[in-house]
Amino acid sequence: MLVIILMMAVLSVYGALNKVPEAIKTQLAPDAQVILLDAQGDEHQIGEIAKRNIAQYRVIDTDGTTSYDARTIDRFDAETNTIYQSRMKNKFFNASNLFLILKDSSFFAIMAVGMTGVIILAGIDLSVGSIYGLSAIVGAMALSALPADASLLIALPIGLAVCIAVGTMCGLANGAMSVGLRVHPFVITLGMMAALRGLTVVLPQELFSTQSIGGFPTSFTSGFFKAKIMGVYPVPVIVMALVAIAGWFVLSRTVFGRRIFAIGGNETAAQYAGIPVGKVKILVYTITGALCGLSACIYLGYLGAAETNAGNAYELQVIAATVIGGASLMGGRGTALGAVLGAIIIQLINNAMVIFSVDQSYNQIVMGAAIIIAVVIDQTKQRVQARRG
Amino acid sequence: MTTRRAWLISSYSLSIGALLLASGCSNNSGENAEGSQSSSSTSTNTDDETVYRIGLIAKSNSNPPFQAAKTGAMDAAQRLSDELDGVTVEVLWQTPPQEDAQMQAQYVEQLVASGVHGIAISCTDANLLTSALKAAVDKGVVVVTFDSDAPESGRMAYYGVDDKEAGKEVMRQLADQMGGEGKVAILTGNPAASNLQKRVEGVIEQAGEYEGITDATVYSFMPETATEAAAKMQQVQSANPDITGWALVGGWPLYTDNALDGIYESAKVVSMDPLPLPLEYVKKGQVQVLVGQPYYGWGEKSVEMIIDKLEYNRSPESELIFADFDIVTDENVDEYGENWKTWLGED
Repeated sequence: MLVIILMMAVLSVYGALNKVPEAIKTQLAPDAQVILLDAQGDEHQIGEIAKRNIAQYRVIDTDGTTSYDARTIDRFDAETNTIYQSRMKNKFFNASNLFLILKDSSFFAIMAVGMTGVIILAGIDLSVGSIYGLSAIVGAMALSALPADASLLIALPIGLAVCIAVGTMCGLANGAMSVGLRVHPFVITLGMMAALRGLTVVLPQELFSTQSIGGFPTSFTSGFFKAKIMGVYPVPVIVMALVAIAGWFVLSRTVFGRRIFAIGGNETAAQYAGIPVGKVKILVYTITGALCGLSACIYLGYLGAAETNAGNAYELQVIAATVIGGASLMGGRGTALGAVLGAIIIQLINNAMVIFSVDQSYNQIVMGAAIIIAVVIDQTKQRVQARRG
Repeated sequence: MTTRRAWLISSYSLSIGALLLASGCSNNSGENAEGSQSSSSTSTNTDDETVYRIGLIAKSNSNPPFQAAKTGAMDAAQRLSDELDGVTVEVLWQTPPQEDAQMQAQYVEQLVASGVHGIAISCTDANLLTSALKAAVDKGVVVVTFDSDAPESGRMAYYGVDDKEAGKEVMRQLADQMGGEGKVAILTGNPAASNLQKRVEGVIEQAGEYEGITDATVYSFMPETATEAAAKMQQVQSANPDITGWALVGGWPLYTDNALDGIYESAKVVSMDPLPLPLEYVKKGQVQVLVGQPYYGWGEKSVEMIIDKLEYNRSPESELIFADFDIVTDENVDEYGENWKTWLGED
């Protein structure tokens, strides 16, 4: 949390020194006539004078004549008869940007909460991106079959049920195969990653001859997951917060959570202690799959479509968020809240690239370095603790 | 314990901060080198200068055509900054490392929040990007699409080629090479990709114009990699030795060496995408014609249109602006190859 606060402080200071305009839109009457005046008061038609030479915009409509000082006008769009003015705001520390960061984090953070359980078990799930993609595509098929005006009470349960069911089944398959076949989850989930990605491509191709599926009920998209409240889109963020709280509760306040830590700390000892290791592992992978499905459902609702490439390579971001959030790849350690904060740190780094106007090519370098630094610091901390007994 | 924890957190924060600042510094120097505006000022109007900030979002960072688009946009920004008195144009490159429509949508939203005046984008998936682009347009951002369109987004204009016409051009060139007769095979990638579907449709429609061309069979392959494409071509040619012409609606197999062994001896080949590696096939005489898109122009023209709108309130006459094709043969292959040195910033 302190890392995030410090990063935000740096970005806020930078943002305050480099303010940006926030658009204020004024829709003129359809019959309004706009005349452009230069510094000498000569009239010009739209397109005949450069913006920097305009001194005044004169708007004539049925209500009379209104004059705007050109210095207060950012842009006039002649085609839509709209005037755009602006007020300056902090480039980083403003509600819409902060919610964007949280919203962008939510897709990964929800999966990262599940991944935390897997990593505490000393396991790994490389298939989360593919589960996300397949859940999204199957969910999109179901939602696109509904009429555009379907009510939220129909669209939301169907979207959630289909996406989560697909994710749950994939997670169950991961856990069952890993435990039942006694194969390391790295191998099982690697295979599932490829197989599920193939399905994600083949299904829409064979059934719809397309790469992307859209056309969902508006009640599911702008009516819920992309509902605008006080200028921001809070639903993905709220879901992320609820998942984080649930993850925290399960891992730290339930017997099931204690068992996960016990298995990750020492699997043999956990077995001797009578913990049903296999069942716990299967359940953790199943929950992770279900959370991937939930995240995919938010993706469908927010973006209004699904494409075959959805979630491609997201497993790396999810694992990175978990590790940055303090989970140990050796097992036995990690928190749900840490995973969410890890996802937020990743998006803060992404956002900082935009705030600092850094070429996106540098993003991966910074991101990779941040992950390595996190792991090195974590291991240093472990060594220091071990030395002190 | 608390002191050690605070030290660890502080060192991590400082490390990330240092990395970000280092990136920021290197970005500024990079922009200077490329001639773009290095000022971090984002104000729209100052007393003596107007700064226009344009976000450029391509499909993937490593793809040479999009690097050419980036160079085109940077060059246009520099030229317009020089030409327009009191105006500075900045281009901000925001492109995912690999094709990812969701990430593109996030970049659109972040760019709008950071106060850009225009966005030029090649849409990986129109369905997925439409709502984000609509929101950008609604906030007064001028949006132009290039290469791949999102027609329902409210964007001002699209600049690129007509995919069906591109397919027709490939077939026209191939028919010329084949003397208007023979058996044609069409190579395409993902059969569900709408742009490829249109190109294939164009090839088939044009092939119907020639009485001597008896067959035009479509062969697709997945995933869209060079090795898969090359293997597919060689297997098809081996099984159908009477094929005398290949129409490639994408240049996939030509991104490897020796993809046409066993093919070029008996068939003429015409392909889309005259990228640096495919040009070598023209030089070797294994590919007769390459049909190119305006890669550099994607960026250049997009920036020009956005600035024309922002500065003069002028929109293009049509919202669909189709570019001409570049035709590359053994006669102009060296000259065309020189373009890539400029487009990829190797000059």
